[in-house]
Amino acid sequence: MEDPYKLLEKWMSSESFLVVGRGVYRVDSLDKALGKALFTEDYYIDYFLENALFIKQVLSPLPHARIKSIDASRALSISGVYGVYTARDIPGENQVGYAIPDQPLLAQGKVRYPGEVVALVAARDYEKAIKAAEEVVVEYEELPALLDPLEALERRDVLIHEERGSNIAFQTRVRKGNVEEGFSKAQVVVENEYRLHHQEHAYLETEAALAIPESEGRITVIGGLQYPHLGQKIISRVLGIPMSKVKVVAPYIGGGFGGKDDEGPLTCAKAALVAYLTGKPAFILYSREESIKIHPKREAAVIRYKSGVDENGKLTAIDVTIIHDTGAYANRGPFILWRATMHASGPYEVPNAKVDGYAVYTNKVYQGSFRGFGNLSIQFAVERQMDLLAEKLGLDPVEFRLRNILREGSTTLTSQVLDHSVGVGEALEKTALKADWWRKRREIEEYNKTSERFKRGIGVAVAWHGISTSRAVPDWSNAYVKVELDGSVTVYTGIVEMGQGSPTSSHVQIVSEILGVPVDRVKVVFASTDAPDTGATHASRGTSIGGVGILVATAKIRERMASLAAKLLGVNPEDIEFRDGRVYSKSDPSKNISWRDLVREAYARGVEVSATGYYYLPKGRFDETVGQGFAYPAYSYIVLITEVEVDTWTGEVKVLRVYPGLAAGKIINPQQVEGQIEGAIAQAVGYTLMEYLYFNEKGWVVNTNFTDYVVPTAKDMPEIEKPVYVEDRFKHGAFGAKGVGEMALIPGPASIANAIAHALGVNITSTPLTPWRILEYTRTSGRG
Amino acid sequence: MKVEFVLNGKKVVVDVEPNELLINTLRDKLGVKSVKYACGIGECGNCTVLIDGEPVLSCLTLTVDVNGREVVTDEGLSREGLTKLQKAFIEEGAFQCGYCTPAFILMGEYLLREKQNPSIEDVKEYLKGVLCRCTGYINIFKAVLKTSSRREDSGNA
Amino acid sequence: MYRLPGFEYYRPLSLEEALVLLDKLEDAMVLAGGTDLVLDLKTGRYKPKSIVDTSGLKELKYIVDTGEALRIGALTTIQELVDSPIIASKTPLLWEAAREFAYWQIRNMATIGGNLCNASPAADTAPPLLVYEAVVKAVSTSGERYIPVTEFFLGPRRTALDKKELLVEVVVPYRNLERHGYAYRKIGRRRGHDISIVSVAVALRVDDGLITDTRIALNSVAPVPIRARSIEEFLLGKEPSIDLFREASKLVDRDISPISDVRAPAEYRLHVSRILVEELLLKSYKRAFKGGFE
Repeated sequence: MEDPYKLLEKWMSSESFLVVGRGVYRVDSLDKALGKALFTEDYYIDYFLENALFIKQVLSPLPHARIKSIDASRALSISGVYGVYTARDIPGENQVGYAIPDQPLLAQGKVRYPGEVVALVAARDYEKAIKAAEEVVVEYEELPALLDPLEALERRDVLIHEERGSNIAFQTRVRKGNVEEGFSKAQVVVENEYRLHHQEHAYLETEAALAIPESEGRITVIGGLQYPHLGQKIISRVLGIPMSKVKVVAPYIGGGFGGKDDEGPLTCAKAALVAYLTGKPAFILYSREESIKIHPKREAAVIRYKSGVDENGKLTAIDVTIIHDTGAYANRGPFILWRATMHASGPYEVPNAKVDGYAVYTNKVYQGSFRGFGNLSIQFAVERQMDLLAEKLGLDPVEFRLRNILREGSTTLTSQVLDHSVGVGEALEKTALKADWWRKRREIEEYNKTSERFKRGIGVAVAWHGISTSRAVPDWSNAYVKVELDGSVTVYTGIVEMGQGSPTSSHVQIVSEILGVPVDRVKVVFASTDAPDTGATHASRGTSIGGVGILVATAKIRERMASLAAKLLGVNPEDIEFRDGRVYSKSDPSKNISWRDLVREAYARGVEVSATGYYYLPKGRFDETVGQGFAYPAYSYIVLITEVEVDTWTGEVKVLRVYPGLAAGKIINPQQVEGQIEGAIAQAVGYTLMEYLYFNEKGWVVNTNFTDYVVPTAKDMPEIEKPVYVEDRFKHGAFGAKGVGEMALIPGPASIANAIAHALGVNITSTPLTPWRILEYTRTSGRG
Repeated sequence: MKVEFVLNGKKVVVDVEPNELLINTLRDKLGVKSVKYACGIGECGNCTVLIDGEPVLSCLTLTVDVNGREVVTDEGLSREGLTKLQKAFIEEGAFQCGYCTPAFILMGEYLLREKQNPSIEDVKEYLKGVLCRCTGYINIFKAVLKTSSRREDSGNA
Repeated sequence: MYRLPGFEYYRPLSLEEALVLLDKLEDAMVLAGGTDLVLDLKTGRYKPKSIVDTSGLKELKYIVDTGEALRIGALTTIQELVDSPIIASKTPLLWEAAREFAYWQIRNMATIGGNLCNASPAADTAPPLLVYEAVVKAVSTSGERYIPVTEFFLGPRRTALDKKELLVEVVVPYRNLERHGYAYRKIGRRRGHDISIVSVAVALRVDDGLITDTRIALNSVAPVPIRARSIEEFLLGKEPSIDLFREASKLVDRDISPISDVRAPAEYRLHVSRILVEELLLKSYKRAFKGGFE
């Protein structure tokens, strides 16, 4: 049997597992614990320090300007400087826009944000490159800059991309039912404007890439990126050479969180360009300051949200406008806006909806992918609205949510009927029980009556997140699996290892489970364009979708090996079992053969022991004009209940405890899942309370270092309880797994804000909730 | 300038300019990979090393200043195999991308040397100077605490 | 941020040698720990021709109790202050500030002399030393002199030290503060290490029911770490009470001039300075009288 859908279905129905579902140690653990794991710069130092060129970037100091001239003569006169490269040196296409062709790799004609890369300087070493970069003289004619998206939306006289005719990069919409009628049935209506801010990824390893020219015009790039095949495509386009001549691999990556999904391919393309033009290996490494200045951020958003409920506490209508501050380039902004738009109802049934989304250009660092991908900001608005509606109705927030929550058979915002894998209601109930929600909420309210300075609060937020790419955008998984002559197994996947652990834990577990070989006999070669295109390691798809290709390829090999074993042992193929490196007859275990001998037999008898695992995710139709139809094959869901304490005198907020509840299908490795939840909560605490970009009047990010872009330390973490799992299996995920990686970050800020609102009795509509912002809220409520 | 020091138990001699930073000497010239650059300005702790047993930042230390001293990095903690703490990091899943891990292990080892039975607050206090963006720190706390109680067990036995 | 620009490097092995170097060298800066200077060299804030590295001057690492004051060698690290039982018992305000100072790795490198000479408005050791009215000893080839910490800071990154002088010792008188209650608190953007939004050190003495001495010092709310003289004068001779402390705390506006920057808005710094002054006056009073108003 080789049909991928049938194979996946067969493995989905397994009830007992040997390896899946257990906290197997990651195969990268030993190297990482001993400090031997190699990241991009380590390859440069080990092999290329003396003979690779070092690349330094020349950045625009202005938010919006025409480039009048670039004079590199002084830089080129420095000995050891190999070249200064600008847009006109690009042999292929100077175009790297992922969604809209609006973005050059190196500035062409204009700069559109402070930090835009104007030129690359290549020199023998770091010092020379730095010096030369300072000597490149760029003459600009400054243009009026637009920093506020609401202003940019209205302005026609200043256009950031003239060819687009307005400053709107992209628009989205949903039209469902009749919104006016919906609001006329509402007993309670709540309307607010929410403002969410940017977030910097602050991965500890900055962007880096090493490009090596090879024979026959090939080029190999080692770099930190989340989708090697996308890097390959971008490099091929920029250099004007076939993709087959470009090999991209990512070693261990020091954190990605989406940032290296956007910037990674560009980093690789810059190194590849210099290597291609000079014929020498070339290395680029961003300093922390450059990283923060240059790479895209979580979008800032303005969200106007109106929602109504009837006397039974059921949502009747929503009317939502989403404005994303897209910055200088669209990048993945259109996809981000699309996702925000189609998630604008939250995980609730809403019969009537009108949603309009605008991605607006400004002269600031552009927005991009960041764990949650447009969904964090919209769920913030949704979940604040839900609390406010509940309060007006006099209903408990959990109870009110349960009345509206999506269930199997429910219709989503885009009128898609959810036919399976909808565990959110159960997750909400169970998490509330575990947190002792109702009692705690009462006790806290009692406590606050007598405590003048310190107030406590408990808040809930729920989120959903569509699995796979949106609407009919093709999504697939693949992998190449081969069994070596000694019975060990090599797997090739494009999924990267950036900390999330899919190729180093769950992928290994999948192979080990299916073939019954010990985990140490499985080697997953990850993040390589030598593997078939597996899609990106983003959208929480590394295990759930990335793992499907591996599952299918491995299952194909197992089917063949089972037939062979059946023949050799004289039993039925259905009677064959693979475990602990042996293959048994289930009915008569005395009939068995070692895996290794079986493999040898396969090689000898003409049974192919390699396979690819192409799996195409079936999608439905989507009508963009009304935003209705098949949006995602399924959704992951999460619940976070958060307890906080607020010092109402200083405005300081302490997040005390978080209770997570997850409905993300089969949990393949619980320890890794908990790690994802805990890490995401840290980023949520940081985003909500302390992380922000500080822009000056020229659109510069002022805080481009870790002194002033502060992220949570060990002292800033709340206690995090063991998650509640509802294993609502997904039929297109490996063993029924859905995505996990992004989930806990999405409702994190809303959950904290709801807890603070509960503590203070104020309406919170913006982030970050710095101490001074908290004091503004307490003052406006007359309590400060 | 010639600088001589003991690195992970072995005597090394390097020729450096006075402005050379220890992080670069270790990484570029002495094959040490566990010491990482992440901020360059003393805010992230990822470049932590032990000098004469005390944790300091190699990105703010001049190499000439370690002349005659002893430098230990994550690679040098155990002559054979893994230390108990390194093992606990693996068992507790106390890392994700692994970039900051060596610095946490050094600080954890330092803590366990100073305090036999640290409280969770001690653990946070000792580790707070190393930034991790992946794990949320929780499993790191678990790994350190687990190692300390194990030491207590072996002490009782 | 990876490398330092070049400089001429000197590593004297005695104080004598160091002073001769400082006398002789044009445009030299003193390296005393490096947690500020090395990063300032990286960012290009300073571009000195020469660096005089004091790491060889072991003689400037000591804590001596004279019975009246602590004499602290300028190259004593912040972690050595934290680890010192003498510091903890005789100058508890300095000890508390040292404990809140950055984090372990930095505290092992940073020195008390370096922290003062860097003259950051946010210098962590400054508020307690201002409260103790510490005096620093500056020496050069032409002699020595003592400068009160209250007169040491002239502006951001500017001190009363002459180019040729080396700060060798910090003298912290504690005897006349033994009957004071005291309190310290630092507020930053997170609970882990951070540059202060403001930190405040307070000492308060009450005799026969009346306040006879108050010392309040703050950092990060003026060009230099400062004493809140208006409040101190206002409280003198008054009978302590919660209301009095609240009223007094409002006077902090007269003493500080916070600015808005990436770390916090001016209004917040002002507000939280008032809150901290009030809170710490009360805490100091409680400490002096074990229980306070309750």
